[in-house]
Amino acid sequence: MQENYLAKWLNNELTEAELSEFKKSDEYASYIRISEVSKQLKAPDFDADNAYENFKNAQDFLETKVVQLRPFKSFLRVAAAIAILLAGSYFFLNTLDQSYSTQLAERTEVQLPDNSQVILNADSQISFSEKKWTKERNVELDGEAFFKVAKGKKFTVSTASGTVSVLGTQFNVENRTDFFEVTCYEGLVSVLYNNKERKLPAGTSFLVVNGKVMDDTAIKNGQPSWVNNESSFKSIPLKYVLAEFERQFNVKVETENINDNQLFTGSFSNTAIKIALESISTPSKINYKLEGNNVLFYGENTP
Amino acid sequence: MSNVCEEQIFSSVFKANSKTIFNYIYYKFGNEEKANDAVQEAFVKLWENCAKVTPEKAKSYLYTVANNLYLNVIKAEKVRLKYADMYSNSISNESPEFVLEEKQFKQKLDKALNTLPENQRTTFLLNRIDGKKYAEIAEMEGVSIKAIEKRMHLALKTLREKIDGI
Repeated sequence: MQENYLAKWLNNELTEAELSEFKKSDEYASYIRISEVSKQLKAPDFDADNAYENFKNAQDFLETKVVQLRPFKSFLRVAAAIAILLAGSYFFLNTLDQSYSTQLAERTEVQLPDNSQVILNADSQISFSEKKWTKERNVELDGEAFFKVAKGKKFTVSTASGTVSVLGTQFNVENRTDFFEVTCYEGLVSVLYNNKERKLPAGTSFLVVNGKVMDDTAIKNGQPSWVNNESSFKSIPLKYVLAEFERQFNVKVETENINDNQLFTGSFSNTAIKIALESISTPSKINYKLEGNNVLFYGENTP
Repeated sequence: MSNVCEEQIFSSVFKANSKTIFNYIYYKFGNEEKANDAVQEAFVKLWENCAKVTPEKAKSYLYTVANNLYLNVIKAEKVRLKYADMYSNSISNESPEFVLEEKQFKQKLDKALNTLPENQRTTFLLNRIDGKKYAEIAEMEGVSIKAIEKRMHLALKTLREKIDGI
């Protein structure tokens, strides 16, 4: 008899010889009976259609998987990407410097993190890092600004021309093309210009015009005059006066037959253009013509 | 490309295989509720992984899931399959003695089946009740045809010994 012959027999795989031998055995009748009776066995009822309905209802998969799960997943992906972008740009922007600027004919006041005050004159810009402020009080300046510095650590104003540092005082810094002026109104100001340090006590100023260091000129006011809407000059070449005039009124100045290096001492109003024009032209003995946003200054003897 | 994610294909796979899965688990453990659960579980898994399972692989995937489901859970439970209620009572033109004898034989078979090792009983019943070929059973159980023949042989041998009271 071959291996597993009972299984083979059920499957009709026995040879003739094997089968007749098996039929002769005592157990054969029992096996026949088991084989026949077991065929009548039944498993419990099972309704496939019903089970399928149950499956669909219980899981709700057939709809949700396609319609809801997938979009939700991609929505999460998009949301995560946006969140990362937002967080990233937040941290990036946070590290950027805080910056304030004024347009022509504009003035603004800026409160620094330590309550120091900055008044920005026309066409000027300051920037500083709010994050590093507690470590170092450093302000970048382009243009002109008046500083009222709260007492504390060293306060530094960096400009393209030079660096001004103080401990707590009031001072004005003007940094224009070929023109750098620092005026101290209170306390002591230290100016670093061309690697040379200068101490400015209250009521003194430091002036560089066109790379030439001019004599110190003292102003006894508690504030620069522009804070009170007046631009004051003391022995300043006329071209810088006219440049300031342009900034204050947002006009275009042209000159004809004029020596714009002649020195100007005086002041002009930053609010009334007619009065300002008179204030400049009369002492300089020149004429002017105002047409819209254009001003022409011309010499007395122009034909 | 057709995969099981299409509802039409999925439902045909369900209808073709759910009954056999139900029986398969029922023969193993003799528990109708667990057999129903196994059907649901196996198809949930198939649906979740429908993109990865081709229709050809779906069948063996289902048996693997159903098998793993109760792998360690109810092996120890005592099996009490109730086949007695399920015998057909169509034979009526027999003598009372024969009917009685037949009934006693069925009870003996019932008892003997319940004492069989789970894998022998499952193989035996899948073949006798569901008419599954040895090759099909081998695929469901994940074993060789020869192993199924062995189980079948041992099942028959044990049943006869129990019934004849050896």
